[in-house]
Amino acid sequence: MMKDMMAGFELFQPADVETALELLDRHGAASWRLAGGYDSLDWLKNRSKQTRAVVDLERIAELRGIRESGGGVEIGALTTLTEIETSQLIRERYGLLADAARKVASPQIRNAGSIGGNLCQDTRCWYYRYGVKCYRAGGNTCYAAAPEAMNREHAIFEASRCVAVTPSDCAPAVVALDAEMVVRSRAGERVIRAADFFMPPSIDIRRMTVLEPEELLVAVRLPAAWAGASFYFEKVADRNVWDFPLVNVAAAFRMDGATVADARIVCGAVQCTPRRMAAAERLVVGRPRTEQVAESAGAASAAGAEPLAFNAYKVSLVENLVRRAVRGAQTSEPA
Amino acid sequence: MSEWPPTEVGGDTRASSTISEDAPWALPMVSAIPAAQPSPSWSRRDFIKGIIASGVTVSGLSYFGSGCSGALPAQTVGGVERLLSLSVNGQLRRVDVLPAETLAMTLRYKLGLTGTKLGCDRAECGACTVLIDGVTHYSCSTLTHRVRDREITTIEGLEGPNGELHPVQQAFVDELSPQCGFCTPGQVMSAVALLRRNPNPTREEAREALAGNLCRCGAYHNYLNGVMRAAQSLGAREA
Amino acid sequence: MAELLGKDFTPPDIVGKVTGRAKYAEDFRRDGMVFCRLLTSPMPHARVRNVDARAALAMPGVVGILLPEDVPEQEGVANNILTYEPHFVGEPILAIAAVDETTAHNAIAAVRLDIEPLEFCVDPLESLRPGGPNARAGGNALIPQEGLQEVKWTEEDFAAAGEGQLPMGRPGEEWSYGDLDAGFAASTLVLDESFVTASTSHHSMEPRTAMAYWEGGKCYLHASCQSQSNALPGAARLIGIAPEDLVFIAEYCGGGFGSKGGAYPLMAIPAHMSRKVGRPVLMRVSRAEEYVLGSARPGFQGRIRLGFRPDGRIAACDLSIIQENGPNSGFGDLGAAASAVSLVYTPQAMRYRGISVLTNTPPRGAQRGPGQNQIHCAVEPLIDKAARQLGLDPVAIRRINAPTHESLYGGNQSHITSAYLREALEMGAERFGWQERRARSGQRSGSKVRAVGVGQAFHSAGSSGFDGLVRIAPDGKLHIHTGVGNLGTYSYASTSRVAAEVLRYDWANCEIHRGDSSRGLPWNNGQFGSNTSYTMSRTNYAAAMDALQKLKAIAARELGGNANDYDVRDEAVFSRANPSRRLTYAQAARTAIQLGGRYSGMETPQDINPMTRRAVESIAGTGLIGVARDNLPQDGMVPALAAGFIEIELDVETGLYEILDYLGVADCGLVMHPTSLATQVRGGAVMGFGMAAAERHVYDPRWGLPGAVGLHQAKPPSYLDVPSEMDWAAVDQAEPNNPVGVKGIGEPLMGCAAAALLCALSDALGGHYFNRTPIVADMIVNAANGRPQAHRQLQVNTQ
Repeated sequence: MMKDMMAGFELFQPADVETALELLDRHGAASWRLAGGYDSLDWLKNRSKQTRAVVDLERIAELRGIRESGGGVEIGALTTLTEIETSQLIRERYGLLADAARKVASPQIRNAGSIGGNLCQDTRCWYYRYGVKCYRAGGNTCYAAAPEAMNREHAIFEASRCVAVTPSDCAPAVVALDAEMVVRSRAGERVIRAADFFMPPSIDIRRMTVLEPEELLVAVRLPAAWAGASFYFEKVADRNVWDFPLVNVAAAFRMDGATVADARIVCGAVQCTPRRMAAAERLVVGRPRTEQVAESAGAASAAGAEPLAFNAYKVSLVENLVRRAVRGAQTSEPA
Repeated sequence: MSEWPPTEVGGDTRASSTISEDAPWALPMVSAIPAAQPSPSWSRRDFIKGIIASGVTVSGLSYFGSGCSGALPAQTVGGVERLLSLSVNGQLRRVDVLPAETLAMTLRYKLGLTGTKLGCDRAECGACTVLIDGVTHYSCSTLTHRVRDREITTIEGLEGPNGELHPVQQAFVDELSPQCGFCTPGQVMSAVALLRRNPNPTREEAREALAGNLCRCGAYHNYLNGVMRAAQSLGAREA
Repeated sequence: MAELLGKDFTPPDIVGKVTGRAKYAEDFRRDGMVFCRLLTSPMPHARVRNVDARAALAMPGVVGILLPEDVPEQEGVANNILTYEPHFVGEPILAIAAVDETTAHNAIAAVRLDIEPLEFCVDPLESLRPGGPNARAGGNALIPQEGLQEVKWTEEDFAAAGEGQLPMGRPGEEWSYGDLDAGFAASTLVLDESFVTASTSHHSMEPRTAMAYWEGGKCYLHASCQSQSNALPGAARLIGIAPEDLVFIAEYCGGGFGSKGGAYPLMAIPAHMSRKVGRPVLMRVSRAEEYVLGSARPGFQGRIRLGFRPDGRIAACDLSIIQENGPNSGFGDLGAAASAVSLVYTPQAMRYRGISVLTNTPPRGAQRGPGQNQIHCAVEPLIDKAARQLGLDPVAIRRINAPTHESLYGGNQSHITSAYLREALEMGAERFGWQERRARSGQRSGSKVRAVGVGQAFHSAGSSGFDGLVRIAPDGKLHIHTGVGNLGTYSYASTSRVAAEVLRYDWANCEIHRGDSSRGLPWNNGQFGSNTSYTMSRTNYAAAMDALQKLKAIAARELGGNANDYDVRDEAVFSRANPSRRLTYAQAARTAIQLGGRYSGMETPQDINPMTRRAVESIAGTGLIGVARDNLPQDGMVPALAAGFIEIELDVETGLYEILDYLGVADCGLVMHPTSLATQVRGGAVMGFGMAAAERHVYDPRWGLPGAVGLHQAKPPSYLDVPSEMDWAAVDQAEPNNPVGVKGIGEPLMGCAAAALLCALSDALGGHYFNRTPIVADMIVNAANGRPQAHRQLQVNTQ
């Protein structure tokens, strides 16, 4: 049973990115990047994961802030969800992300939780969090995929040994916005498209993103191309506070008159990474957003789903949410 | 017992004299076994690197005051307390703090501020809510080292110089807001932060602002009554 | 005319709650205090063959270990304090104390257990199958009067049930009344449904932390407990000392909801540890530990057959319940459920058969409306199903079956004291605008559909035979000693005002003594079972009447005449014939001290409890003592009844709903403390909504692992899951067996709201009966989209 008292660690509180990267480099896999801390402290209190060196990013000013950049907007990775939710700039141009941020957890968590932390957080599979030695924890089985297992919250797509899902509300939004993830290490900077940032279990079952231990997500860039598009975000969760999504949808539509010129529709919590609803997007582009188009997009969304014993309802949820996104796309309400 | 031990998952069948290495319930305990004290039956386990390195930890001085005069635990890697100056309720408090120490623990066990409650220690209930630079945070999930140059306000820091209740506290009394009272300090802190930010909230805004505070007695209605009453009395006071 | 009762007041403990000065068990500190933590079982059922704690004990800062042999073993299937044969994941095996918690945790992690897994079970029905697993070595079922037995039903029993229906082999308990066959024969509509009601955790905000130390031969225990005097003997027994050697301090309790009603094994651990290591010991319990050690409401696998006459009257009821008992002594929810059915629906003939089956999941205990609230969740939507088929209004069919004062209760068909459920339904329907709202039911707006529901619930609400104690001090102040406890409803205070009312006191001149057994507290019932308002108003009435008689007797002695010639007013006793002949209460108290004997507590009544006698002795000679056992008449069981009305809007595409409005109506006798009652109505509703449609009690069936050990997994409702405003009302009819007309109400206020919401969810889906509580989003999505539900029929502990 979890007891809450963390094992000891060294705490480093660098004031700039360079120092942080040096620390990550020095401690390698033994290091732990600490942002808002809600996911991290859960693990460290459980002690099913431990670390020798915590690199606290909180004091690094250059990781904070929302700024215009090249026609788009760049958000520092440590910017809090509250800052994103209330940013006039984000609300006006990228209301999708503001809406997603607003649906995360609770006010206090949004006050400390960062966009970077939200995007990089670990999965909430309850078996894995409980501390069992499953594939993701370095073992050789998946307890959640067993025939009798309690897997209501697990994957219906793209399972590969592990059936855990991405729990993030912001992740589908940044994929729908075709954001770029700015990643730095001592070796330099690389920019990764949001869709490629998240790690499927078929490639590496032990982590949720492509970040290497010595790397740091420093910023998220939202491209000008999707500013002011027509957006839709919806989250279905058991409770309206704290809970992770059962399924969420983030969608962006660029309109040409009444016709959809381009669309990006992304669901979360249906597989280990945010899932582009490619078939639905194809059905929508070039058509008006009528009920009929919405119906066909919804119906096409769950093709290929392979539900587990307890999560077939997610098939209907995906279909319904995609239909609603196409049907009722909304822009964020002004502040 | 036909399903036991679970041979089909994992490789070798465990010896009956030790915990099965494959049964899931063995693991929470196992992973916490300090590598500094290896024993033959556990040595096969592939600890992740970080676990091995952390070793037996430590804690520092006793949790409060000089009362606990027993043997102090040794300090090893990763566990050294450092003296911090914390600004709590307008006072500068000097306190030894471990790296892995949360603000809730520091407040409750080192500074004697037990009004801040630990309901879940996992950012899931809000009983530990405090203000950091005027903003609500779960102190159970905030490392104390983070707040060393910030202004911390706890439930003990709200009353006036002559002990008069803060308008939110008074309103919660008048509306019989608390039931068991355990979540109340957190509810008060969220309400105070809201009214500083938005002195004239709608009931719906109050509801959203307090949403991160669970009340198992279900006294939400009465707490919201209290917030609205406090807003009124604050407004009246300023008018 | 009551001066105090029926009016709002500021309870004395509320300021401490808003300032943070209220001290809960974890807030106490003692010099030299150390911290202990538990090593708990990783397995659902196991035998610990060896403990190697050498490395742990060698750690700097570790001060001691407490093993099962250091604590008294509990008899039979009672919950153990520590054990080498744990029966659920998380059951404590040993405890280690250290100078700080981190060290204690590190030491726990360094203990090596040689532990062998044993057969286990997380589904009662599986355990009843031929060859099914037993949760304990001695058997799998708890039978009244017989105790732990092995009960296996036959393949024929299972086959006879039919597809998807609950089988019923040899029951553990049964009763019946009336002619069941004739009742069904007279019925034109018979519904026969099997159902599951999930177990639910209590989620009290305060985990059950405890702190203990020894001083002067006594043990001082700070515990998280709903009750005060009633819990003390049990706590003393767990510690292994006489009740008079225990100082029990439970001034504040951060929520209990039944799970902290009395003494529980965990609170004894710091006491034992403290005795062993010679230092004060605090034991904090983590939220995850609270989820397995904090007990839970037992779930039911049930079946009910209801026969209706064409007018909706229930002619026959055949109820079967398999209760998930947990591994230990459990709680009698199943029988309470059956009795509730007999009262709330007054079937003309009824049979009940039940069995409580052990599983290797958390020990079960009482939770708000134990038994009643589960069964109302199962039955109320079925009443709606019948109403639909009979073409009746849901309120009308409930009215026709509602109890009257003459209705009988349970298998014994015993009397009740008063029942105003019909009035509650009528009052509620009127106030809620039921007819208009019902006319809107089914209205669609896009994917959203409006629906309504009405729910009812019951719990017994009063007890008698406990003691009251008051003291009028020489300064004239009234001191009310109450040993009931403080779970947060303020009923300890409102019932104390009965004494002030009887003696016509200014409330400002009254002081309540409570929360610490060294403060001279009488033997009182526990603060559980919705009984405080009824029971404690009687004890305080009895004590105040004793004081009143003594005041009059003293006046007669001092001023002449008979006691009956005197009355009281303005805190003085005066001659009715000549009001200027008077003694102030202060004067009377001083005279009482001079007179001694029974007046000042130097002598005590024969029939009071020894605990009360000790309390009186501790204050004897300090004023006029009023002390008496509550020997007031009581004829029958005291029912608390409630009706809830709800309107919702359900989105059939997402499975999410919004509660548009809720009204709860209480039959609690006369209203004693309006705002507190309002809070109970609303708070009970919040908890009911959680039970009906959110909260989880999850176990992996293969490994017996708990899957809901955090609040975000177990899901009690938040601010944004319930309406920000809810309405309330009370029938406000006097309960005849209570001197001030009150009875309790806490528990059914939860059940009626849960039932109302479940009915509304069914209503939104055209009357779909789910056979299951809670109804959660995925079930609604499945139902609305024509998908089969994921759980097996009658499966328990699902996600």
